[in-house]
Amino acid sequence: MSLTVVKGLQSEIFVPVTPPPVWAPVKKELKDMTIALATAAGVHHKEQKRFNLAGDFTWRKITDKMPSDELMVSHGGYDNSDVNKDINCMFPIDRIHELAKEGFIKACAPVHAGFMGGGGNQEKFKHETGPAIAKMFVEEGVDAVILTAG
Amino acid sequence: MQRAIEAAGIPTIIIAALPPVVRQTGTPRAVAPRVPMGANAGEPHNVEMQTGIVKATLEQLVKLDTPGKVVPLPFEYVAKV
Repeated sequence: MSLTVVKGLQSEIFVPVTPPPVWAPVKKELKDMTIALATAAGVHHKEQKRFNLAGDFTWRKITDKMPSDELMVSHGGYDNSDVNKDINCMFPIDRIHELAKEGFIKACAPVHAGFMGGGGNQEKFKHETGPAIAKMFVEEGVDAVILTAG
Repeated sequence: MQRAIEAAGIPTIIIAALPPVVRQTGTPRAVAPRVPMGANAGEPHNVEMQTGIVKATLEQLVKLDTPGKVVPLPFEYVAKV
């Protein structure tokens, strides 16, 4: 007797699938690297358009010339109180500058990226926003990127 | 996002407050200090902790040799809510 009552039965519970690995090898030493930041924490300059807190797949280019005290956060998905006190909690730009100054890394990249994670149109993120940010980093000669999210 | 940048040939590492989430979504490289969401890079105005986390993250960027690993970092910040 077969123990299978219904063939091909699937769970009705949504189970997220982990995608296949992606890997770009590190080719330089840290002291020769230009490092950029990308954050899903909703960081942008205070003159830039705020993110739509209900879900937003757009992103903001943060140039390295923007003073860190002129950056702000608009994000509806986490407690903003720490990052409102100190942007470096999610966007450690001052720390990267210090590490570049002391020679731990070669330089801080001229551009960084802020977007609002934790929701929004995932297809747009995957096929438009992600590649657009990646393209900017390639064009600006970035060697590695630190992300904050999750 | 991390995967898109990595697919363009630039190595990346993510500082995560929720390690199971980044593992599930297929991170190539990740570190996880003991921090709450919203302070992934450390306590506000704690320059020493933030520098420590960023430095340790960069060291893991170079050190990690296989995708999908999430390395715990020995830093802890508990937000006073």
